[in-house]
Amino acid sequence: MFRYSIAALGALSLLILVHTTPALAANPAGFVKEMGDKAFASLSEAGLTEEERAKRFRGLLHEAFDLPRIARFTLGRYWRTATESEKAEFVELFEKFVVQAYSARFQDLSGKKLNVIQEREVSESQALVLSEILIPGKPSVKINWRVRSKDEMHKIVDVMVEGISMSVTQRDEFAAVIRQTGGNVDGLIKALRRKTASN
Amino acid sequence: MKVVSVTQGRLARLVASAACIALLAAGCATPPPASDRDAVAAFNEANDPYEPFNRAMLDFNLAIDKAILKPVAFVYKEGVPDPLQTNVTNFLSNLRGPVVFANDLLQGEFDRAGNTLLRFAMNSTIGILGINDFAAEAGVPEHTEDFGQTLATWDVEEGPYLVLPIFGPSNPRDGFGILADSLMDPFSWLTPFEFRIGRALGQAVDRRARSYDQLNDLEKNSLDFYAAIRSLYRQKRRDEIRNGAPGTIKSVPGGLSGVPAGAPGGQQGDAAPTGN
Repeated sequence: MFRYSIAALGALSLLILVHTTPALAANPAGFVKEMGDKAFASLSEAGLTEEERAKRFRGLLHEAFDLPRIARFTLGRYWRTATESEKAEFVELFEKFVVQAYSARFQDLSGKKLNVIQEREVSESQALVLSEILIPGKPSVKINWRVRSKDEMHKIVDVMVEGISMSVTQRDEFAAVIRQTGGNVDGLIKALRRKTASN
Repeated sequence: MKVVSVTQGRLARLVASAACIALLAAGCATPPPASDRDAVAAFNEANDPYEPFNRAMLDFNLAIDKAILKPVAFVYKEGVPDPLQTNVTNFLSNLRGPVVFANDLLQGEFDRAGNTLLRFAMNSTIGILGINDFAAEAGVPEHTEDFGQTLATWDVEEGPYLVLPIFGPSNPRDGFGILADSLMDPFSWLTPFEFRIGRALGQAVDRRARSYDQLNDLEKNSLDFYAAIRSLYRQKRRDEIRNGAPGTIKSVPGGLSGVPAGAPGGQQGDAAPTGN
């Protein structure tokens, strides 16, 4: 029915990253490669319970991603009008939401492989790392990582799967929820609370 | 021929009646008061003045999906061996060759047009009517084009978001593109009615089966399924229009070029705070 498959989203099941060791790779591409390898190793382990997978995923998420920054971005213009306590709760719920929505997507990594292709500078502090996920018997999936670097420390701030930005998708969806619930962040926070409490 | 024009007449009527419903039956979203600048900006950014109509149309499409397409796609996906499914996908993609070729030309992409021609010649013959994609194995991978994309390269604006019955997420530009593509498709003039019906149904099942898990996932994990689909559709189209090249279109939110340092997808003015 939908003319454009959202195959892209499925590929997300692959953007996983592992806990331990601070991210000190020499360059953004090396960082993505290192994180990707760790993620595959950690999350493809046989016999992981759902709980354990979510836990590992959360660790990876914190190590590799600049979550507070992403959370702020996804709130868009509403960040300015939110109160301090709303902001704090939103960031917390956002993390829960991401772990819940994405960790289940990492169950089937067998045979898949992350291939980092190249790195492009976007600005002084940001680079785009182009990569692909190779899946046996299927077309590869293009994944681009936006990496922000500061003092040799790297953090991912966005992931684009086949040209679709996860941060932008989330921001658009949150904006719609806010509009539907009366135009303030409170409505979104309530929706996130319900969503993250359900599992 | 006759049937083509009949179906197109039907489609035109559907679109027309859809627009009427949208306009007459309170299908227009109420714009927020001008004093609420954030709300106005959000409303404009959504570019979805027919949102209530569109939401109803998505529900309609989902009801049909749930009743017919989804169960069929499930049986197909689970019951038909994977290599055979790939053959079907290849066959259907190959049939689009002439349309892709025409659009490559209309966009002035002559190298890509050459690739499309080569692929079509190769896969239609030694690939046995397109069921094998030997051209991709030989290093000429598939790409798609459609008239909606061609119009975009001619700087035609997409217009407001529109959920079409059956066809799903679209906009006036892409909707017109679907029509134009079917007109320029030799397989829609040269083949018998039964073949065209079969092709359309096959395409629907093939696409639905391939996006099965992703749509389930999205439905389960989204806060607002409608808004998520809308965002994904737009981003996907922008990516297709720029042929997958990272950010050459400046209006892409989270675009990849000229982004102010600090914001994850920094975009025009309303990106998140960029402090450290």
